[in-house]
Amino acid sequence: MKFRSALLLFAVTAAPALANSLIPAQPVAGIARSSFAARPEGEWNRLSMRPGKRVETWTLDGPLLNSVRFFGGVLPGEPLLREADKKRAPLPKVQADMLITDVPALLENTYRAQQSVSRMEIEAQEPVRIGGAAAVRFAYRFVRHETDVERRGEAVGAIKGGKLYLVTFEAPALHFFEKDLPKFRQLVATLTF
Amino acid sequence: MAAMLAGKAVAAPLPSALPPYSAAYEPRTVDERGLWMQVDEAEKQLRASNLLIADPTLGAHVRRVLCRTVGEDRCGSVRLYLLELPGFNAAMMPNGAMLVHSGLLLRTRSEAELGAVLGHEFAHFELRHSLAGFARARSATDAIAWISVLGAASGANVGASVQLLAGAFFTFSRALEKQADLLGLQYLRASPYPAGAASEVWAHLLQEQAATALERKYKPNRGRAAGFFDSHPAPADRADYLRAAAGDDPGDAAVAGHRDGMAMVRLPLLMAQVKTGDFGGTAYLIDALAAQSGWTAELLFARAELYRQRGNPRDLATAAQLYADAIRAGPAPPEAHRGLGLALLRSGDAAGGRVALAEYLRLKPDAGDARLIASLVPEDKP
Repeated sequence: MKFRSALLLFAVTAAPALANSLIPAQPVAGIARSSFAARPEGEWNRLSMRPGKRVETWTLDGPLLNSVRFFGGVLPGEPLLREADKKRAPLPKVQADMLITDVPALLENTYRAQQSVSRMEIEAQEPVRIGGAAAVRFAYRFVRHETDVERRGEAVGAIKGGKLYLVTFEAPALHFFEKDLPKFRQLVATLTF
Repeated sequence: MAAMLAGKAVAAPLPSALPPYSAAYEPRTVDERGLWMQVDEAEKQLRASNLLIADPTLGAHVRRVLCRTVGEDRCGSVRLYLLELPGFNAAMMPNGAMLVHSGLLLRTRSEAELGAVLGHEFAHFELRHSLAGFARARSATDAIAWISVLGAASGANVGASVQLLAGAFFTFSRALEKQADLLGLQYLRASPYPAGAASEVWAHLLQEQAATALERKYKPNRGRAAGFFDSHPAPADRADYLRAAAGDDPGDAAVAGHRDGMAMVRLPLLMAQVKTGDFGGTAYLIDALAAQSGWTAELLFARAELYRQRGNPRDLATAAQLYADAIRAGPAPPEAHRGLGLALLRSGDAAGGRVALAEYLRLKPDAGDARLIASLVPEDKP
């Protein structure tokens, strides 16, 4: 009897647990079903929910507290995130002739169009090299009006073979951003695509 | 449903003249005291909102327009909160706090139009509409469920602190909205502003929505039929009954006054609007501003950004032209040179692009993107 109820309990709790998965501290390839690969030094959690066709979300304590999103090779004509209303509220699309300077603007405009973000500032932007490719690293902060929480973000993006590769890290400006930024930077330092 | 929730208040006749106003109003009943306690708490949170626009000049402008519309005796107790939200909206809390979205400030074309909307919101306060709705709703067995649905449908989204209230208290029925519209009209008639401005607001909103729909290739809502869940009358109907009720009321709409009051925030608000990606609606708004002030450097720049953002090859050519026009019209923001450079680079004019980007870096060496832009401009060889 005891065993059966234990089984039942397992059946109830197992379903959500199976939905997400653990990323162990070892080399990972095929992130976001793309050529993205990295060597995390600590464990991460991968969420099964994909906000876009080529997007994968990792988190430490839950996506509202810290989230890393990999956008793995978004093709020209595609939006970064799934469009809630293609006809009436379309999202900006990746463009084949996009410049590296257009990457932060694409993220900002996507957020403003769909993520109920009405305040967002792109801060420092600088050229970097990621996995041997020319890339942009930029910092930003934004507020979603339904939560009214100020979040900070840091991201690296590159255009390779006409596709957009972008990794973002976002967390509440209070405490969490500073706390987990080094873990994101460690991830980016080992990133190839 | 909305009418049912507010049935009691609808039966009350609309005052024919401005009702006598009592300053320093205090809640009188158990219901009203309870309601005020909750909104007082929400207002405290609102004061700390990340979306507040802390611009004293703009705040003074909006307060002046409110006071000229409803009269000095009425406006004194109102606390104004300007929020950075791109939609056309404003809201009134039952305790006399008024929320004004930046999208409303950008869209109203004169002090009179702004005053018409602020007056409408103030009328809700003066007529104690939220209390009427609240008392009625509380007695309904399934009120909470219905209020949530209606709240969601109203689309009034003003931050977590106010989310609950947006659902529970800000959903006025269509009948109450009409009452507030008509009392708002009486404020305008008693003010230096022409009452005709109230219907103009709705007519312009419909034109903007049509422009958005045209560019996105869907059939625009004609603004005639209010749906089951709509908390407000349909915009076209509002324009019609407001126009009819306004009659002949001459006055100065104060176009220049509003333009000056908005001077410091117009460009940032335009940029936020451009970034929403609504090409048709934004082009309509910029054109409307240009029809009033002529094509200033600021408006040419905003239009150029809009085209560069859409980014078709023809858009990039148009954008480059508009940036050049903005720089010629002057004084243009340094970002006009940045936009020009990037538009030229994407159009294949590498040499022209670099010249413009170098000029941007010269004008704004400390820009956040200076190093990134510099990477697009090859360094001078010694």
